[in-house]
Amino acid sequence: MTGQSMISIQHLCKSFYTADRHTHMALDNIDLDIREGEFVSILGPSGCGKSTLLYMLGGFVPATSGTLVAQGKTITGPGPDRGPVFQEFALFPWKTVIGNVMYGLREQGVGRRDARERAMALLHKVNLADYADFYPKELSGGMRQRVAIARTLAYDPAILLMDEPFGALDAHTRTVLQNELLEIWERDRKTVVFVTHGVDEAVFLSDRVVVMTRSPGRIKTVIDIDLPRPRVRSELLVNRRYQDYVVHLEQLIEDVHLEACSA
Amino acid sequence: MTASTHQYQVFGRLGPLLVVLALLAMWEVTARHLQLDGFPTAAEALRQLPVILSDGQALAGIGDSLRRMACAFVLALLVAVPVGLCMGRSDALARLLNPLLSVIYPIPKAALMPMVMLWFGIGDLSKVLVIFLGVSLPLLFHSYYGARNMDVKLLWCAAAMGMGAPVRLFKVVLPAALPDVLLGCRVGLSMALIVMISSEMIARQSGAGDLLFNAMDMALYPDVYAMILILAALGYGLDGLFERLRRRLTHWADVRQDSHAGASS
Repeated sequence: MTGQSMISIQHLCKSFYTADRHTHMALDNIDLDIREGEFVSILGPSGCGKSTLLYMLGGFVPATSGTLVAQGKTITGPGPDRGPVFQEFALFPWKTVIGNVMYGLREQGVGRRDARERAMALLHKVNLADYADFYPKELSGGMRQRVAIARTLAYDPAILLMDEPFGALDAHTRTVLQNELLEIWERDRKTVVFVTHGVDEAVFLSDRVVVMTRSPGRIKTVIDIDLPRPRVRSELLVNRRYQDYVVHLEQLIEDVHLEACSA
Repeated sequence: MTASTHQYQVFGRLGPLLVVLALLAMWEVTARHLQLDGFPTAAEALRQLPVILSDGQALAGIGDSLRRMACAFVLALLVAVPVGLCMGRSDALARLLNPLLSVIYPIPKAALMPMVMLWFGIGDLSKVLVIFLGVSLPLLFHSYYGARNMDVKLLWCAAAMGMGAPVRLFKVVLPAALPDVLLGCRVGLSMALIVMISSEMIARQSGAGDLLFNAMDMALYPDVYAMILILAALGYGLDGLFERLRRRLTHWADVRQDSHAGASS
């Protein structure tokens, strides 16, 4: 599990021009190393630049300064080694469920029949095999996000970049998908960068939690989550260490809020 | 309950037809009452319909009009849609072209006809060109709007799969903007009819507009009215066909409030 470095972020800064032509520092001097097969959550209040950090890892948004390296290569743009999953699902609405999952495979040059077979296998994995020919608009939010995850897993990226993927779902669906995500992750141990503002979600899923401050976005602290795997929610909820992590992180987040308000 | 909903459905289907019939009846009564030369009765105009529609020359004229319209429409699709989509995804290009387009937009395209005729004569080329201009702008603006307002994360997802930018324009931006592009097509269709007729009124050589104004010159007023009815039916039919095509192509999209760009001819 503690493999070699998968992602290396050094002195990363990102600033925007605001409407009145001032520069706004969104991210300030971020340093972070993520190992292969690690599940890392980035936790912070809204507006702390955690999604921007993820977009830069994806190569969708350029950095202002600093370096981003994934698998030894400097990130200059998007690539199939880094698969995104967004809160808003971002499914292709004109494609059916199976069409969405096949899309990346077809783009990688996999033949139609082969792509279909592999997509079908993935849909079985996320319990959506019966919905292969549905269009996204016909599905619930939870189902759409399952499709989006399957679509990204289909082209087998080494790194999953998840941007508050369960943020738009109801509480029950969220826990179901968290469990499913952990199951998938236990199986193929991809490196996951998971952006969230939910403390219990971060603790439940992660090996490490990166806590961020707001304006400018900086790393406040990094907490190792030393809890046994595979994790079962009902067991964790009565686990003293889990509770301590949650309380500790809640306090940190509250501090971040207070600092931001007094600043 | 079921009986009344049934009645309502029957009326819903027959209602528009009844309105048309009522209008025709009013026309008939008014025309008979006024007895003006330039205002034939509905019956006189309707009687001319089969005469015009069985006249080979007239049909060939209407066919000419439709052919020119189709050429211009296809040309506009090939030019305006890609340009509009590119503008929607490139702020620099949008800033470059938007002022120019805003100046061109309010010019009635038929007003360009004299100038275009001086350059290209009174034949097909001039008319196709003017119709093309008329269709292009609504098509371009709707394509631009659709591409600009699409979810950028769809593009990111495609890019992460390894799709390059030029391919993304056709495989992601075009389908994502398709509901808007087709809305532009519908507006463009009615524009095409309008510009088609006006261009043929100005450069009288062949076509539906030519037929209409020849009848006018010869004081064949029932023919004039019959031609107007034919053009209205043409617009209605084309719009209906197009609407069916649109539904087929964008059945996957969320239901949206469409502006009613009916065929006004």
